[in-house]
Amino acid sequence: MSRTAGQERLEPRVVVNFDRPSRRYDPQETVRLQYHVAGTGDAQVRMIERSALWYTEGKGEEDLGICFFERITDAEHLPPTQRQGEFAFRLPASPMTYEGTIVKIRWCVRVRLFFKGRRDFVSEHVFDVGELPPAMPLRQPPTAPR
Amino acid sequence: MVTFRLPRLFEKKRGSRRTGSQAWGQFGEACFYGSLLVAGVVFTVILGRRILEAPGFASISLWTWLLTLLLPGALLSIGGSGLARLLTGWGRSEEGMAALRRFPEMFQPSGRGFDANEFPSVPPWENFNNSPGTMLRYRLPLESAESWSVFGFGLFAVLWNAVVILLAVAAGVDFVGGQTDWLLLAILVPFVAIGIGGVVVFVRALVLQNAVGPTQIEIADHPLRPGDRCDVIIGQGGIGMFRQISLSLELEELATFRQGTDTRTERRVVREEPVAEWRAITIAPGHRFEERASFEVPAEAMHSFASLHNSVTWRIAVRVEPAKWPKFTRHFPIVVLPQRTGPTLLNTPPAGIATVGSGR
Repeated sequence: MSRTAGQERLEPRVVVNFDRPSRRYDPQETVRLQYHVAGTGDAQVRMIERSALWYTEGKGEEDLGICFFERITDAEHLPPTQRQGEFAFRLPASPMTYEGTIVKIRWCVRVRLFFKGRRDFVSEHVFDVGELPPAMPLRQPPTAPR
Repeated sequence: MVTFRLPRLFEKKRGSRRTGSQAWGQFGEACFYGSLLVAGVVFTVILGRRILEAPGFASISLWTWLLTLLLPGALLSIGGSGLARLLTGWGRSEEGMAALRRFPEMFQPSGRGFDANEFPSVPPWENFNNSPGTMLRYRLPLESAESWSVFGFGLFAVLWNAVVILLAVAAGVDFVGGQTDWLLLAILVPFVAIGIGGVVVFVRALVLQNAVGPTQIEIADHPLRPGDRCDVIIGQGGIGMFRQISLSLELEELATFRQGTDTRTERRVVREEPVAEWRAITIAPGHRFEERASFEVPAEAMHSFASLHNSVTWRIAVRVEPAKWPKFTRHFPIVVLPQRTGPTLLNTPPAGIATVGSGR
């Protein structure tokens, strides 16, 4: 990746602390968390997006569902002026975290930093909703329906 | 604002991630849709002017107008919709786009109880509950894959044999005229074989679908929750001897993905709970096999889930092994809701979507 002359190399990091160290929540519980942005130097952050979402993993195309989304654009609430933040959101009743064989559902919190004149940076922090055992394959493929 | 970087001719693809610049990709897409839109406008102007300047303008029918404007209309709609989609997503993150798509949901009422809005990504179950049973509360609909397969086989047989007939007529005309096109005859032989095979497969599927008789499933409650016990009644029509009829509860994962230009679907059964099994059954004319059983949804079960490309489906599977016909399986999907949580939590307001600050 080329850099414009004079641009310092950034190594942004977002450290997230959930209110529950196990990072396991039940559906419809409220998740509270704090985050700290580091490694941005004096680079100007023009916007932060913080979100909570589920996405699918596995064999199929990725699907995504948003549960919480917030955009911060006030300079006084952005790094380098303010590097910490906190937010809370209530989980919906579904979907639950699922470790299937070809379909997996994961929940995560994302903090996305938009820099002036640079590429944006996203930090993802996975947590669990519910406590389901992983699925095991039985047979493949199943008999054709009639 | 993004650091300027020239596009590369060759790029790497690592899983779903690409090494190329997203901005250049969007620029390329914008150029493509923009050129379609411009072509549509140019075509419309040129065709419109020619029609307006034609001597018999007043006598041009509506169908002629529609046919003339078909191509420019398609170009305008594809180019315009593509550009609108690009502009909506320009500079937005994946999460921002998802939030934008979810925005209309915020205006929907979210009542409590068994309301579909209360269970995001759980498939709707209204269609499963609108057919009352004769002995239990609901009669479940049959998964429609069976009928679609027969329809598909029939359509293939008709279309393929239409092509075969055209080729055969051409070969016959040549033959009557005293000419023999050997190449055409050589092509015709495998085409006829495939055509006959298509008809055989279609007739076999049609006979199998109708010969054994319908299967009906009624259940006492729906939708279900993990740990719920539910009564079920199976009814199997037909005449004669059946080696075995079995009932089980299955959990199937389904994933749709693109492979090149194809869209493929993979299914995998990840859980199977036997419910009941009956052997050596004889059904007399005018009667049907009818039995009651009960099953329990596993307490630690995953709930039903459906998104655009992925799903997790619970279903009742009926495996029938007739004495004189090939064995078959019929599926009756059900919906399993997530495990119950504390009632007080249901009253807290839902999570939201907000923008803090003075805008982008």
